[in-house]
Amino acid sequence: MELDFLSTGFLSALLAIVLIDLVLAGDNALIIGLVARNLPKDTQRQVIFWGTFGAIAIRALMAILVVYILNVPGFMLAGGLALVWIARKLLTPEEHASESHLIKGPATSFAGAIRTIVIADAVMGVDNVLAIGGAAGGSILLIVVGLAISVPIIVWGSQLVIKLVDRFPSVVLLGGAVLAWTGYSMVVREPLLATWFELHPATKLVAAILIFSISLAPWYTARLSDEAKPLVALLPAVLVWLLGVEVAASVWKLKADYLLATQTGEYILEGVRWLGWLPLAAGWLWLRERIELRRRTIAQR
Amino acid sequence: MLLIRRSQRANHAVRTASAGGEVFVASVVICMILAAFGDAVDPTVFGEVGLEFAIFDFGGELSLLAMRHWHLLQLLLAGVAGAFGIFVLRVFAAGLLRILRPAGRRAIDKVPISL
Repeated sequence: MELDFLSTGFLSALLAIVLIDLVLAGDNALIIGLVARNLPKDTQRQVIFWGTFGAIAIRALMAILVVYILNVPGFMLAGGLALVWIARKLLTPEEHASESHLIKGPATSFAGAIRTIVIADAVMGVDNVLAIGGAAGGSILLIVVGLAISVPIIVWGSQLVIKLVDRFPSVVLLGGAVLAWTGYSMVVREPLLATWFELHPATKLVAAILIFSISLAPWYTARLSDEAKPLVALLPAVLVWLLGVEVAASVWKLKADYLLATQTGEYILEGVRWLGWLPLAAGWLWLRERIELRRRTIAQR
Repeated sequence: MLLIRRSQRANHAVRTASAGGEVFVASVVICMILAAFGDAVDPTVFGEVGLEFAIFDFGGELSLLAMRHWHLLQLLLAGVAGAFGIFVLRVFAAGLLRILRPAGRRAIDKVPISL
C-alpha cells in the first residue's frame, strides 16, 4: 500500500510512527551509555560511535525484514497480537524497573561492548520496528521516514523524550492507544482472516473492543479498588467467548443468528452463545477467590 | 520502553496523567472504537429498520459510517473536540449545580419568602 505524499493518510501514519518512536525508541542511548561507562576515554568514544552506527544498521536491517515478513500470511495477525501485548506492557507500571537483563554490566573490551550493544538493540528494537512496520501499512517511504525519525531519538533525543513524557505522562497513554489501534488495524488486515471478516463484519467491532480492553486494562484498572479488579477480566472474557462462538459456528457450519432461529436447537445455541460465558466467569472468580484465600492462609502461618 | 521507566511520572502514567490528558486520550479511544463500529456495521441491516438516515446520512462525512475512513489525525482532532465538549459541559454543569444549591438560611442575598 503506497500512500500519497502529504495526504491525510500519510500524515496520520507519520504521526503514529512519531508517537510510537517517542514511547518505544530511545533505549539504545541508555544501553550504549551503560555499556561504555567503565571503558577508557578513547575506547569510550569509539564504542559510542560504532555502537550508534551498529544500532542504526541493525534497526535498518530489521525494518527491511519486517516489511517482507508482514507480507507473509499469518505474520500480520501475529504482529498485531504482539502490539497488543506491547501496549499493555507499556502502560503497566514497573515497580522495580531494572536496566536490562541483556546488559550484564559495563563492558571491559571494545569488541564485547559492540557485541552487547548490537544484541541488545536487536532484541529491544523488535517492538519499535514491528510497530513502525504496522503503522506504515507496507509503505516503504513511511518505513524510511520512521527510521529517519528513530535515529535522532536513538542518538541525541533520549533526554528530550524523558523530559516530554515526564511533563506530559498522557503521551504514554496516547502511545498505548495508538499501539492498540495499530494492532487492531494489523489484525483486520491479515490476509488469512480477510474473507472471514468480510463474512462476519460485526466481529471487527468485537475484535476492536477486545484489543482495547486488553491493551488499556492497566489504565482503567488503576482506578478500581482491589475487590473490583478481578471483574476487569470479565469484559475481555465475554468478547473472547463471543468471538470463539462465531469461529465455532463458521467451522461447524452452525446457524448462530437469533433472527433466523426457528427450532429449539437453534434457540439453545443462541442461549449458549449469549449466556454460556456466565458459568465460566463464575467458576473463574470462585477459583481465584479460593487461590487468594489459600495464599493468605499460608502467609499467616 | 526502557527509557519510559527512567521517569517516575511516565512509568506510572496510568496514575500521574492529568485529568485533561486522560479525557483527551479516552475521547480518542472512543472515536477509534466508533470508527471500528462504522467498519463493522452492515449498512443494509440498518437500512431495513429505517435508521440509515440517523446513522449514515446525517451530517454527510461526519456520519458514523464515514468514520471507518478516518485516519489517526482525524481521530485525534475528534478526540480534542470531544475533550473540549466534555470540559464545556463540566463548566456548565458546575454552574448549574451552583445555581440550584440553596443559599444559607442567614445569607445576605437570601430572598425572604413569607407565607
